[in-house]
Amino acid sequence: MRKWIQCLTAFAILFAAPTLTMAQEREGPLRIEITEGVIEPLPYAIPDMVAETAQSEDLARQISRVIAADLSGTGLFREIPRNAHIARVTNFSSPVQFADWKAINAQALITGGVSVDGSGRLVVRFRLHDVFAGEDIGDGLQLVGTTDGWRRIAHKVADQVYSRLTGEDPYFDSRVVFVAETGPKNARQKQIGIMDYDGENVVYLTGSNSIVLAPRFSPSGNNLLYTSFESGFPKIYLLNIGNLSQQELRTPQGEMSFSPRFGPDGQTVVYSLTSGGNTDLYALNIANGQGQRLTAAPSIETAPSFSPDGSRIVFESDRSGSPQLYIMSSKGGDAQRISFGQGRYGTPVWSPRGDLIAFTKQSKGRFHIGVMRTDGSEERLLTASFLDEGPTWSPNGRVIMFTRETQGAGGRAALHSVDITGRNLRQVPTNTGASDPSWSPLLQ
Amino acid sequence: MNAGQIISGTAHVGLLAAAIFGGAFKAEPLPFEVTEVTAISSEEFALLVAPDQEPDALANIDTPEPQEAGQTPDVPVSVEETPPETAQPEVNEATQPAPLPEVEELGPPPQAEVSDEAPVLQPPEEDFAVLLPETSPQPAPQAAPRVAPQPIAQPEPDVRIDDVDQKASEPDEQAEQSEPETEETAQEEASDRIVTEAEKLEAAAPERSVRPKTRPTRAAEAPETQTAQESQTDDDSVQAALQQALGANDGPADSKPSGPPLTAGEKDGLRVAVQRCWNVGSLSSDALATTVIVSVSMAEDGKPVTSTIKLLDSSGGSGSSVKQAFDAARRAIIRCGSKGFDLPIEKYAAWREIEMTFNPERMRIK
Repeated sequence: MRKWIQCLTAFAILFAAPTLTMAQEREGPLRIEITEGVIEPLPYAIPDMVAETAQSEDLARQISRVIAADLSGTGLFREIPRNAHIARVTNFSSPVQFADWKAINAQALITGGVSVDGSGRLVVRFRLHDVFAGEDIGDGLQLVGTTDGWRRIAHKVADQVYSRLTGEDPYFDSRVVFVAETGPKNARQKQIGIMDYDGENVVYLTGSNSIVLAPRFSPSGNNLLYTSFESGFPKIYLLNIGNLSQQELRTPQGEMSFSPRFGPDGQTVVYSLTSGGNTDLYALNIANGQGQRLTAAPSIETAPSFSPDGSRIVFESDRSGSPQLYIMSSKGGDAQRISFGQGRYGTPVWSPRGDLIAFTKQSKGRFHIGVMRTDGSEERLLTASFLDEGPTWSPNGRVIMFTRETQGAGGRAALHSVDITGRNLRQVPTNTGASDPSWSPLLQ
Repeated sequence: MNAGQIISGTAHVGLLAAAIFGGAFKAEPLPFEVTEVTAISSEEFALLVAPDQEPDALANIDTPEPQEAGQTPDVPVSVEETPPETAQPEVNEATQPAPLPEVEELGPPPQAEVSDEAPVLQPPEEDFAVLLPETSPQPAPQAAPRVAPQPIAQPEPDVRIDDVDQKASEPDEQAEQSEPETEETAQEEASDRIVTEAEKLEAAAPERSVRPKTRPTRAAEAPETQTAQESQTDDDSVQAALQQALGANDGPADSKPSGPPLTAGEKDGLRVAVQRCWNVGSLSSDALATTVIVSVSMAEDGKPVTSTIKLLDSSGGSGSSVKQAFDAARRAIIRCGSKGFDLPIEKYAAWREIEMTFNPERMRIK
């Protein structure tokens, strides 16, 4: 009898289950989970900004083009060609016809107005619109500057758009210092140049009568450290970008001092010093001249780079037999190895965000630019070529610029940039060969 | 012995006698072939196997005509052979055996600086089973046999790639004014993966094999002896389930949507339709770590009511990253729902209100 009851109960549950499910389905709204999406540039439209005065017609068009170049150059956005636009923006204050922009699948729209006021100042106003939501993203903004500085204003507008759409910190209004290279490979002439991040407005800071290497920005962006062979041996120099005054750093007696880099306080400098055939890391306070030896190993320690908080240093050492990456306290002491992959690692640079370390890797006859976590995990190679080296981070830690040199006697060095996801690898246009880039902080 | 047995025995004996003595077991001799042979002597056999006779040496050869008188025959003149001058190789001092190198006693190798602290190794991944040597040569793929003697041209795409989705215009004969013909265009298919330059050059073959997943752990078997209390608990739970299934605990019916639920396939269709427009390519790293739950009300034609799209909840992010994640989700719903999602109207009550969870965990770095 008990078995019969159990069987009946089982049948009852069996037939009740769909009913139970249906009842549960009826409770509340339909729920679905989306875990897969697409990775593609976000389409946006930027019609030429409205020229509100007669003198601003060319500027309005040029500013619009620079903004579009900045945004599309990230690889995160795709400009919808202007000949596909349905609506025309003739007045900055007119309401936007969102339906017209939605029809061409513009997900973001940038409108603006440009004028030159009575005192000759350039005034740029812009708004960013979410087309599908039919509303503005953030408030409208007005920027005022000189007409000569129109490119900086354009970069500022692009920075605002970039930040509002991605949530990332901006980086367009920044500069890059690099080594300009001219002449054949066996007789290269090198001088330090500085330019906008996009390769425009190049200015040379040093002559070409001596070899210069590895310029590095100070945290404020006002000073440079670089290595020069002016005295016959590599020595470190401090250069003021504003007045171009330079002075040699007073380092301990040694054969060579090189590979300098500023600490986040702008006062501390770490560098490599070779003495008696041994290369170690040293620190120097450029304000009071006090120095400190950080390593004392028979191996070669070089390429130091501070963490953003200044507490740690990542550097390159061959103490294990091949060049690998190590992290130690900025006061010196024991170092912890973080790279364990096959190949040779070098030129580590700590991300401004503090979460990643960029490096150069040589493996199987090819060079790579890669990133890894600060504990050495999640190594990811972003590039591969005959010679890639010398990474530098954009101010927001989203993009890496580096040197790529082509093979052969006619090989030429050029600057390239790549997103930390590995997308959007592209060459930075320069008039000469270019190497050893160092990205400035965001301009103030 | 009865008569039947007698008759049967007699018949069997008669049958055997007829078979034995009647010739049933007589066999005819097997047929065989006879070949006639001829005996030959050893001389005759030698003549038979001897090679063919050589041809006549004088046959078909022209006899040369004799030379005329006074004509000297051409006799090859012997040339006095002179030995070739062979230059004696100069003695190269370098070929002399090298002097013995100076031998210095090598000191003991310098002690390598070894840190006492062992590096902290990361625990291996679960599927980290067998590492094939990276240096193994990658065999070059063999060229596929060409079937057709001439390669055919690549077929034209169905639609032209453009920034705008647009359908081809169809002529309307009843229209007074003919509209300009428009070509069908579509946006380029998006990718959901990032392949870096370094990854493109990697070998196609996998460098590690995936360890098969472990079997699911068996649930602990229930003890064989059940107490009366446990049996009572089971009965209670069965009763509770039945009551819930029969709707005993349901509240007012009019507060909930009615109608049949969506099937799993219909749900999947909606999910795929939305994720096709969920573009995370421009999101920041923080926004890619943010999960948002968005609610939306749907019209009967399958289009989302834009004004009802609301952020219900979020996790993993803060401030601006939540806003970025929500904006991307909202754009996905509006864009792909602009022409209406393919949902069954008879089940409208089931999808009138939808909650979508956008979880970008798998989209962070691909």
